[in-house]
Amino acid sequence: MPQEATSSPKGHVVVVPCSGIGKPFGTVSREAAYEICENLCPGKAQIVALAKLVLGDAEARSAVSSTPVVSIDGCKRACAATMVKQSGGTLIREVSVLEAFRQHKDLKPEGIAELNDAGLKLARVLAEETVASLPRAPSAGPARGENHE
Amino acid sequence: MSDMPERKVGIIACSGEQLAEGTVARLAALRVLNELRPGQTVTICLPLFLAGGAEDRAFACVHPTITVDGCDLRCAAHGTEKYSSKPVASLVVSELVAEHGLPKPEGCRRLNDAGKQAVEVTAQRLAALVDEALGHEGPAAGNRPAAQPAGNGKGEEVTCSCGSGVPVRRVVIDGQTVELVALDPIFQKFRSAGRGPDEATLREVFDMVKLYNDVPPKAEASYREVIHREFIAACQS
Repeated sequence: MPQEATSSPKGHVVVVPCSGIGKPFGTVSREAAYEICENLCPGKAQIVALAKLVLGDAEARSAVSSTPVVSIDGCKRACAATMVKQSGGTLIREVSVLEAFRQHKDLKPEGIAELNDAGLKLARVLAEETVASLPRAPSAGPARGENHE
Repeated sequence: MSDMPERKVGIIACSGEQLAEGTVARLAALRVLNELRPGQTVTICLPLFLAGGAEDRAFACVHPTITVDGCDLRCAAHGTEKYSSKPVASLVVSELVAEHGLPKPEGCRRLNDAGKQAVEVTAQRLAALVDEALGHEGPAAGNRPAAQPAGNGKGEEVTCSCGSGVPVRRVVIDGQTVELVALDPIFQKFRSAGRGPDEATLREVFDMVKLYNDVPPKAEASYREVIHREFIAACQS
């Protein structure tokens, strides 16, 4: 059976959300990334800014090439996943906000600068499902800070 | 001329997710797009220059573009210049914050008050640069923002170029394959006006193609010849 890519030996992952600015789904991708890094896996997950990968920043490229990566994209163009691959990174999950919305049609995100409650909930659900699906979940246990409910 | 790209100012924010200043850059861009200069501005996600196609990379060739970066890495400015075309102006939030003596913004996910102040300062500077790029003071008539802010962009979509790219055509000039932006819509504009390949029209066609494309001065004669030939062929088809 082929071995699935796992998180790093220390259980760390890099999260790369898309930089979507034109639609609420991009905002959901960022919110989910912050949820993973700040609340679900603090100290185990870190965000790498997509713009740095566009620039070819050495530190960002090193981060995605040395640590398993979760990309979160807000549209079908999948910039985050594409850029991680182009930067030599190994994706362990390619998350699509559109797909998550298809699974949770009651959570329709609205607002770009500021998500509505449904959008915030979609981001949280997406983040939780993503962490739960990781080969070796890097969770540091519940450490919830903000609660958007 | 429905497919003709409108002359709007392109705003590209770095959106740097690791820094509060990146959030400031994104929110300031949204404030200009949605509230301060709606109808005069358009945006595109920076990564599309690499992850997208030729029509995405043509963005800064078609629109005079202003970049907004959170930090002095200037990912948006460098990325735009490298993959599309040189921006007409660039802003860096951390420099604006220092210039105005503001406290350092904090909170990538939820900006503190200093961050919100930085958004306003950045947005106002950005709006002024948009006016400068369009050659007038203040919002153009018919594009004046509402008296009250539209409410943080809630429920709105800004004018985003993703998925509605500018048409690009490849032609061979001096043995090199060159991508020309908006060639077919330009031809269509003249043909719809009943214009044929007379001398005056050919000259105007070439002038308009030059508006949207970077024509190297040394190769101008070759470009002109090919574009004239393509227009004549389009008129005969």
